[in-house]
Amino acid sequence: MDAIIDWYNSLMSNEIWFYLIHTLIKLVLMFAVILAFVVLSVWIERRVAGWIQDRPGPNRAGLPLFLLERFGSKEKQPLKNWLHFFGIPETSWIAKLCTWLRLDREIPIFGLIQPCLDGGKLFLKQETTPSYVRKFYFILAPMLVLGPPLVAAAVVPFASEVNTEFGHISMCVANLDIGPLWIFAISGLSVYGLTLAGWSSNSKFPFLGGLRATAQLISYEVAMGLSIIPLLMMFGTLNLQQIVQFQADNGWTLLPLWGEGLSLQRWIMMLPLGISFIIFVTCVFAEANRTPFDMAECETDLVAGYHAEYSSMKFASFFMGEYAAMVIGSAVVVTLFLGGWSIGFGADAALSAYCDWLAVLCQFCMFIVKLLAFIFFFVWVRWTLPRFRWDQVMKLGWLYFLEITVVNIFLTAAVLYFTK
Amino acid sequence: MFETSLCQILFYLLAALAVLCAVGVVAYRNPVNSAMCMAVCFAMVAAIFFGMGAQFLGIVQLIVYAGAILVLFLFVVMMLDIHDEGQSRGSYIHAAVGVLVAGFFAGLIIITALRLPGATDNACPVHSLCDSVGELLIGEARTASETPAAPAQYGGSLPKLNAAAAARMENPAISDADAAKVTSISDVKLLGKCLYTHYNIPFVILSFALLSGTVGAVALARKIRKD
Repeated sequence: MDAIIDWYNSLMSNEIWFYLIHTLIKLVLMFAVILAFVVLSVWIERRVAGWIQDRPGPNRAGLPLFLLERFGSKEKQPLKNWLHFFGIPETSWIAKLCTWLRLDREIPIFGLIQPCLDGGKLFLKQETTPSYVRKFYFILAPMLVLGPPLVAAAVVPFASEVNTEFGHISMCVANLDIGPLWIFAISGLSVYGLTLAGWSSNSKFPFLGGLRATAQLISYEVAMGLSIIPLLMMFGTLNLQQIVQFQADNGWTLLPLWGEGLSLQRWIMMLPLGISFIIFVTCVFAEANRTPFDMAECETDLVAGYHAEYSSMKFASFFMGEYAAMVIGSAVVVTLFLGGWSIGFGADAALSAYCDWLAVLCQFCMFIVKLLAFIFFFVWVRWTLPRFRWDQVMKLGWLYFLEITVVNIFLTAAVLYFTK
Repeated sequence: MFETSLCQILFYLLAALAVLCAVGVVAYRNPVNSAMCMAVCFAMVAAIFFGMGAQFLGIVQLIVYAGAILVLFLFVVMMLDIHDEGQSRGSYIHAAVGVLVAGFFAGLIIITALRLPGATDNACPVHSLCDSVGELLIGEARTASETPAAPAQYGGSLPKLNAAAAARMENPAISDADAAKVTSISDVKLLGKCLYTHYNIPFVILSFALLSGTVGAVALARKIRKD
């Protein structure tokens, strides 16, 4: 036992091994969280869609009890056996509640099994590659869509920092000094996937979808980059961990209620920051190719869009990429505008003074909650707003957003200068 | 030692890939392949920038050229015949002009590289440049103990990603504020100060050149209404 502890201590005392090990752990955690969220957001999408359209959505799929021989099959009525075992009459309210919860057939978990079944179905479907496609790019394209959002997540901080006896751990995979730029650059690469998919399909409508994706990305990336400049002027740093730390100390960007957030300057800054928020969120929608901006897969004019020729898991990876982009987009909005991992109201400092690890755990949960809330917002918008027309999308990007963001930068500079 | 060797392996790998893709840009007959090779080549150059610790340069390289190559791709797809270009027979005059132009640019690059501070005394040019600019402009240059030790040929080391932690590890007595100061001297600030003070006039001139290009493109693309 002592030997193991000694070995562990000597391993962790080595700076490089310490760095490698804690980075690897964070990397695996981050990948797991994002992939889980991709699956989860599919389920959220369908349940919320059902809720908004006043229907149940996929709530039926559960763990069927007949899979477990021990509990007996559906015909053998396992619920009755259980009730007999505990001596509960079949007409009692407990039995009725169990029947209402469908416990007589399966263990219901709100239809959470549905995404797994969908995934299984997509894996097992026949994979066809049309003979007229350009094979290399056709196979490359889905990878290019799914990969970048996962890489872009590396700079998103999911909790604050911890001082251990071996060194200092910052709870994001790569604590780069260029956080938001990294996310813009890497997630912008995924449009290569859409464009190449459209082009390599060698077919008319997918090609149009790919072209639309390109044009939309180029249009909205400009406004997206410019819209966060007011924030950066306020924070004075590009490091996302420091940005969130600033918000934990001085009030979230859109909720300056503690610390220096109560100053007059911060409240006047709410005007330019609010404009930034609206434009940035809209651009995130456009970059993630979500309704009302999903022009690249607008099935009313393009049959199916860039993925018309794809089948089986290749088709699914486009959707996984879209949902991953949605998760990352939400994470960025939460980090920049809604305080990231910060619990708020000075609770962060108090918690980390009490126990570092407890603070990190609470902050991680807070981040997840905020992320879920924003994903819900994403889905809500999708099922509320109709799709734009193509020329409206271009006009919005180039004629309104670009101008408003540039004016907004000057407005912020004026506010920062005059209310010092 | 480990970091140095790892950095060097990565550097040679990325550099080789970049050169390979650069050759591919010229060698492929299919213009789409060429455009994609160019994208990979630029991405590799960006990765080399990252290895040097010049994160901002690397990411800007990615952001700017990702969009630019997409536009190039569209040009290729919309304007050229996508079938492989036929074997074109170049004359000796073409080859001679090509060699001259390429030689001119290569010479320009070599002269610029040799004139960088620290190029002659076998130190890393980028690090020496950063240090000298830092001394010039920030006034509080990184001292030797604060700077992560740079390999002789090219800079940056892996734990630079966590410079504050590295500084704290070297000297546990260092305060949080001092550790933050080490991180706060990021290459974004260095580059910004350098561009907006030392190289302000060339920067403004270049911006105007690009602006005139944009205005010209809009003027050409705009339909002239006859009414």
